[in-house]
Amino acid sequence: MTGQQKLRVFLGAQLLFFAAWGAWLMYSRSAASAEFALDTVPVDPRDLASGTYVALNYQISSPEACRPLLEAGAAEAFVELKDSGRRQNTAAGTLPVYQAAGCAAAPGAGVWARAEIYGGFAGRINARYGIERFYVNENDPLKNSAAGSVAARVKLGRGNRLTILGLEKKI
Amino acid sequence: MAYFKKLKADLAAAASGGIITPEQADKVWQDAYARRPMAGFKAVHFIAAAAGLFIALGFILVAAHNWDKLGAMLKMGVFLLLLAGVAEAALRLDEKPAAAIPLETLWFFMPILGIGLYAQIFNLSGDPVKPYLAWAALSAPLALLSRRPLAASLNSILLFTVLFWGTLNQASLLSLTSGYGRPPQPLWHWAAALAVLAAGAALYPGRKTGLPLGAACVWTFIMLAADTALKTGSGTLLLMAGMSLSVLWLAWGGPADELRTGLPLKIWLGSVYMMTFFWHHTAGARELFHGATWAGAVAAWVLFAGALLTIALRGQRLLPGGKQADMISKLLLAVSVLSSFLLFGADDVQLKVLAALANFILIAYGAACIVGGSENADEKAINRGVLVITLTAITRFVDLFGGLLASGEAFIVTGLAFAALAYFINKGRKALIEAAKK
Repeated sequence: MTGQQKLRVFLGAQLLFFAAWGAWLMYSRSAASAEFALDTVPVDPRDLASGTYVALNYQISSPEACRPLLEAGAAEAFVELKDSGRRQNTAAGTLPVYQAAGCAAAPGAGVWARAEIYGGFAGRINARYGIERFYVNENDPLKNSAAGSVAARVKLGRGNRLTILGLEKKI
Repeated sequence: MAYFKKLKADLAAAASGGIITPEQADKVWQDAYARRPMAGFKAVHFIAAAAGLFIALGFILVAAHNWDKLGAMLKMGVFLLLLAGVAEAALRLDEKPAAAIPLETLWFFMPILGIGLYAQIFNLSGDPVKPYLAWAALSAPLALLSRRPLAASLNSILLFTVLFWGTLNQASLLSLTSGYGRPPQPLWHWAAALAVLAAGAALYPGRKTGLPLGAACVWTFIMLAADTALKTGSGTLLLMAGMSLSVLWLAWGGPADELRTGLPLKIWLGSVYMMTFFWHHTAGARELFHGATWAGAVAAWVLFAGALLTIALRGQRLLPGGKQADMISKLLLAVSVLSSFLLFGADDVQLKVLAALANFILIAYGAACIVGGSENADEKAINRGVLVITLTAITRFVDLFGGLLASGEAFIVTGLAFAALAYFINKGRKALIEAAKK
């Protein structure tokens, strides 16, 4: 096989990777799970490769229940999310607000979100769910959302990964 | 480049000695020079590479402007078509560097554009290092299979950048630093970091013991100084490790018989120069570090032993000349490493002795360069020696009399003294070079 032929095979592998990844992301998003809201604290950074986004921090971003797992050296955990009983009115409708209720090395029955866990400043525990960024257009007023004025509309995707569907103004 | 200068000089010597003909010497040099890394990569190619980058950025801007009008499938489809188009064009135009180089550059950047695009479409986030590692992995075959060293150079730079950024970042899969109040990072992060280091060195298209070894030495030093599992926690051990690393890079940064003149030499001289400032330290201020680790101490001693063994067993050519010059080189290197022992339980006198030794190394190196350069008709060695001695003398002058520069007149007198110094140094340098030529 010549160098050019090898490079063509490699190009095929690159295309296959991006096609498969895109298909998986679309499939994951189509999971038949309920939508719910998470309270947010947005800021406004941007990223050279992807553009402007709203960086989001959640109440569930510091799950104290995961501390034993972190101290045991775990890098991943499943955080149990439960309906807090509160309801949030948004432009997309009224959604139940969920909060962290537990943490385990494996998911149980109910809504268990997969998270990367790591230690933070002054003993704080951090969890990353993959919903910490919401990309917006340069001119989107959401870019300048004040802290607490928006809620993230999310659902549980395939593989217990949280998927962010929208960032909604609280009404 | 030093290798090619030496090769040219050796071939010219062989031709003048009648071993080979001048034509053969010229052909051998032309052939070797044409096969050097980045051969044929001229200014026009740099401009062409920049063109590729600008085209990529232009695409991002246009897409961003019309973003909300495009669906997810369309965005991904267009990206896949663009990736295929750019790569196919790069392959088809492989024989035409002006087109192939920007296209290959664009192809190299396409995976990160794709990852950024997918992140935007699906609002993905997570470990900040992962997308860049995925980019490096996706572009590695291009780096390995391309007949040009461009993709390999870019991929190697990417991996070393990720290594430095990722290991010092406190929330990535490469994180090695802890920081105040944070739990220690998992040990498997070291395996990941070392794999990235090895991949960066392996993909580098030139000599692995050149820049990759230097980057590895700098990274190791940072890991020994920062709050990692390798933290030395001691200024003494850190100095010992730092000097050992600079000697190791200098010694292994090229063939044993090659006269050292490049970046590793400058780093070693710079390290010795920094040691001269211990003159101003006081014994109470020397231990500023806390939280030593046994692994850090072991690493510092291993580096120290490695540096001493290297000095003893490997030829060291810091100075022009024969065996005597090599022995002086070994002696200077050994003194530079061993002098860090003066920091163990140091009092003010030991600190001053350490600074005086560092000054001695610089002056001795400069003087040996001038003598060796004069004996071997090496003009550059003479210039290098004069430069090192002059910089050392000026620094010490400012050190000793800087406090007296309290008036405009003092500045004028100092300026005139420097002008006279420059005049006489230049005159002496020229005389030495002329004498060497005769």
